[in-house]
Amino acid sequence: MPLVDIQNLHVSFPQHEGLVQAVRGMSLTIEAGESVGIVGESGSGKSVTCMAALRLLRHPPSRITADRLSLDGVDMLTASRRDLARVRGKVASMVFQDPMSAFDPVFTIGHQIVETIRAHTDASLSAATDQAVALLDRVRIKTPLSILNSYPHQLSGGMLQRAMIAMALSCRPKILFADEPTTALDVTIQAQILALIKDLQAELGMGLVMVTHDLGVVAETVDRVVVMYGGRVMEEGPVQAIFDDPQHPYTRALLNSIPGRTPGKQRLTEIAGQSPNPANPPAGCPFHPRCTVALPDCATTAPATRQIGPGRTAACWGLT
Amino acid sequence: MLRYIIGRLLSILLTFFVVSLIVFLMMHSVPGGPFDGNDMPVSDAVKAKLNASLGLDKPLYEQYLRYMWGVLHFDFGVPFQSPGETVTELLARAWPPSLILGGSGVLIGAPLGILMGMAAALRRNTWFDYLVSAVSTLGLTIPVFVISMMLIMVFSVWLNWLPAGGWEKPYSWILPITAYAAVPMATYARYTRSAMLDVMTKPFVTVLRAKGLSERRIIFQHVLRNAALPLVTVFLPMFIGTATGSIFVEAMFRVPGLGAYFVSSIELRDYPLEMSLILMITMMFCVAYLISDIVYALLNPRIRFGGKS
Repeated sequence: MPLVDIQNLHVSFPQHEGLVQAVRGMSLTIEAGESVGIVGESGSGKSVTCMAALRLLRHPPSRITADRLSLDGVDMLTASRRDLARVRGKVASMVFQDPMSAFDPVFTIGHQIVETIRAHTDASLSAATDQAVALLDRVRIKTPLSILNSYPHQLSGGMLQRAMIAMALSCRPKILFADEPTTALDVTIQAQILALIKDLQAELGMGLVMVTHDLGVVAETVDRVVVMYGGRVMEEGPVQAIFDDPQHPYTRALLNSIPGRTPGKQRLTEIAGQSPNPANPPAGCPFHPRCTVALPDCATTAPATRQIGPGRTAACWGLT
Repeated sequence: MLRYIIGRLLSILLTFFVVSLIVFLMMHSVPGGPFDGNDMPVSDAVKAKLNASLGLDKPLYEQYLRYMWGVLHFDFGVPFQSPGETVTELLARAWPPSLILGGSGVLIGAPLGILMGMAAALRRNTWFDYLVSAVSTLGLTIPVFVISMMLIMVFSVWLNWLPAGGWEKPYSWILPITAYAAVPMATYARYTRSAMLDVMTKPFVTVLRAKGLSERRIIFQHVLRNAALPLVTVFLPMFIGTATGSIFVEAMFRVPGLGAYFVSSIELRDYPLEMSLILMITMMFCVAYLISDIVYALLNPRIRFGGKS
């Protein structure tokens, strides 16, 4: 049984401009201990997929349907509030993008880590506090006791992100969803946080989903990559294979727009056009209006996801 | 913290002084004097004698200094309109009904309003939410004397359950207190609802859910605590403002409270009573804001006194 099993997920939100279709038929399976990166531009549906997996989107207004949406065997679509609370933080945790707004401003960091531990175990206050100290130590915080007694506004973004990671790991989850965990941080801190997440994943043997728009982050931290565009999966495969031999035109275009991948002085190529309007997505493959090798079929029918190699799939009419 | 409070107390003294000076000057710049009324005309000679006996013939600065010297010794003078008692005795007699009326009105209205606002926020966009919005809008827009009249119509005239006025028996307190409670209830329902909704859309609430906390804990510990911050700042000032008496409710229900004296002391040029009432309100407002600020700081760790964190 896979740890994360998402089949044909659709998520939409009613908005002024119409029904915004954030995710349109996303499938993803992750085995225990695996690390997967979800890459895509803003609006590609990567964050929404994670939020939907933990059922953190308000429902209504959001509409979620899926053939299957389960975490560690728990059906997240039909789970009761109580069951959801049991899965969140315990089976699957999440680290969010902006650490500055992720903590309740009127409680100390320690309080917020301890309450997480005590929500899932019957640890005493002092035992939970000891655990919190150990956790802060584990995320390489040098003065765990003073951080424990600090309020969020007293700490830097990097320190808060470490604390959030400690909090997310406090009940030893089987999988960690990291939603752009370094986007809001200084560049010098980004590398430290990525290394920390990677080390902890190896130490604890947990699954990892790294959501990012930064291919560099993916290359450093995960084994498998899922490339999303317009709410769909374009291509999926082992990180090395995707970087060395991208098959989907979108993946290729994405890799070509990374500076420094090709030697010499070259003009950086960008992907012409704009990402699709989620309220009114194009028919067929969402990428076809920007694709340089689009076929007539691309504009009418969405390509099915096909196996294109060992552990590799892609959805593109040009690959038949 | 201590330095902050001492600083605030000093600034309260200054406020007190400035207010007393302004009020004293305004009071005496209004034409006419206490014995210029037409119902009991007195001759100029008598008037001069009366004014002299009350020290009103002295220059203004001397009158002011004499009055304030008395205030320093808790001597607030003798009200012209009721010379048989001191201002202090008048307050001791007329203030309790106003305090009971205003105090119970706020103590009943505010918690009710908070509960209504919480329930409305938790059931946003349902019929209950709309009902709370409608009730609180009505409570704020219908003048309190109209509410009083409607209560008298329904409960005294039609149902004949409760007296239409008076203050002798505790059950005659019910209608005026109800009328009084409408405004704090409506104010609190609106404040609480919007404060709760504001907090509930904060990113940290999603994080709390993602940690697996129960919805009850999220609402009662985290959301409520954050939403309470803006509420604290409106609570005490409202309490004080109403505890000094509502002229309208007291007039409608014939409550022998302080409300009427606010009007009569100005009309009758009752200088000692007018000064005393306004100084009393000034003091209460200053103290209320000081206490609210301290409570706010105690609830909000982002605020620290004295500049060191």
